[in-house]
Amino acid sequence: MSDIAISIRGLVKDYATVRALNGVDLDVRRGEVLGFLGPNGAGKSTTIRILLDLLRPTAGTAEILGVPTHLATPELRARVGYLPGELSMPPAKTAGGYLHYLAALRGGAGADRITSLADRFSLDLDRRIHGLSKGNKQKVGVVQAFMHSPELLILDEPTSGLDPLLQREFLDLVGEAHDAGATVLMSSHVLSEVEESAGRVAIIREGVVVDVDDVAELRRRAGQQVLLQFDEPADVAWLSQVPDLTDVVADGTSLHVRLHGEPDALLKTAARHHVVRWHAQDRELEDLFLDTYRGRSLSADGGR
Amino acid sequence: MRAAAGTVALGDLDDHRRSLAIWAVAVAAVSAMYTSFYPTINAGDWASMLDSMPKGLMTAMGFDSIATAAGYVTSTVYSLIGLALVLVHGIARGSQLIAGDEEAGILELELTAPVTRTSTYVERLAALWLDLLAVVAAVTVTILVLTTALSLDLSWGAVLVASALMWVTGGLFATLALAVGAATGRRGTALAVAAGVAVATYVLRAIGNLTGAAWMTSVSPFDWYLGSDPLGTGGVSGGGIALLLGVTVACAVAGLVGLRRRDLMV
Repeated sequence: MSDIAISIRGLVKDYATVRALNGVDLDVRRGEVLGFLGPNGAGKSTTIRILLDLLRPTAGTAEILGVPTHLATPELRARVGYLPGELSMPPAKTAGGYLHYLAALRGGAGADRITSLADRFSLDLDRRIHGLSKGNKQKVGVVQAFMHSPELLILDEPTSGLDPLLQREFLDLVGEAHDAGATVLMSSHVLSEVEESAGRVAIIREGVVVDVDDVAELRRRAGQQVLLQFDEPADVAWLSQVPDLTDVVADGTSLHVRLHGEPDALLKTAARHHVVRWHAQDRELEDLFLDTYRGRSLSADGGR
Repeated sequence: MRAAAGTVALGDLDDHRRSLAIWAVAVAAVSAMYTSFYPTINAGDWASMLDSMPKGLMTAMGFDSIATAAGYVTSTVYSLIGLALVLVHGIARGSQLIAGDEEAGILELELTAPVTRTSTYVERLAALWLDLLAVVAAVTVTILVLTTALSLDLSWGAVLVASALMWVTGGLFATLALAVGAATGRRGTALAVAAGVAVATYVLRAIGNLTGAAWMTSVSPFDWYLGSDPLGTGGVSGGGIALLLGVTVACAVAGLVGLRRRDLMV
């Protein structure tokens, strides 16, 4: 069995007037949780819908669990759980009735977990779907994606609409699926949502995957935002010999710098002057993401 | 594990059981209302009044044999109000089943479950025909009950034949609506095409009958259905039924080919 759960090569998708995907390449390894990040409209949902064979690629190939998407059989789909980005459900059905219908479409698989999952997310199965809030509808979507314990989970913006407590519960659920050996592809436009559970992150922008890396490596590249305040007007030139620094800005007696490595050289250099205050904060991956979105080359960033 | 056969079809029928029941009752009630007028019409001076009306109008409306029970029930129920209600229901449901569910986004989770596009299409097609069968059965039972209660001069066999043909004719246009919806994903397009073709071919048959232009009647599914006067004779035109079923199968296949090829949920 291949150790690649999802393999995407040169994927291009044209709609009538726009090119949504422009050569996406991506591998998702078996058993990993991969965060699939990009701003709205970058091509996340288009890529995912091709994986589910709702859309057909203009060019390129996509395989899930070793099978080209357009050849997916019901047996293959039985091994996949999917949460759509825009979840629509029949309004007149009750949440429980609909979940049991979806389980019946899976030959009954997962029906026995509906109650326990619903309890976990405080979802009232007797309510009709048209009366549910966005968050409650999203819970129905989460339950149906996980209930049959699939070996591959494809989740499009899974935490949208969930309050922080339920996001916590959701991330625990992803963690349990991961521990059980499942592969998870999880898209988001908010990095903090995937930062915790994902081992690797792929960033897509304007229909191309521009970066794939470990979360730890991305965090190193994102770096720390450091503030140093002195007892005299500060000068950018003081730090000109310090490695791993970018975006050095002087502001009166303060220096703002972005640090992408060990702080040792920075501290020793700064200590030649009188430091009256210091503050260091991990940059959010969000900021890195914004760097990418602005079109800066990541590999040239961070003094590497 | 995959879905057991019939899961989609039965699920759909279950979702629509209330609207289906309402339609069946409504069509049966309208059919009963028209049919129970017949004895009063037959007893009065209607025959002479109808004789005085322009012959062309009578032919166009299909009223030429309205003085007989079979002619009257055909004119009012089987070729007019009952048929119209069956068609409206069938076309509305046909356009809803794939295209409507797709536009509403409901199809997405179903199609990513362990089903194929083909199976979900075929099951919806089956649900559509069963749905129409229930409506036509309600009409049929009503006519049969009134035939007995009012001692109408109708043969049960002919009623069953006429009803079966009305079911197939309604099924043709409902299938057309389903197929156009499946091929395009647009409910409005499906409605417009199926309703447009139904109205156009209905009018074509009427004009054909009026002017004697045989090609106009012969291309109309309504002539394939009514051309043999099924309620009067209990007879079926072999060519007519072959055309009704042939065109239906062709529509169904074309819709499936379209559905399998295209992007969904765009």
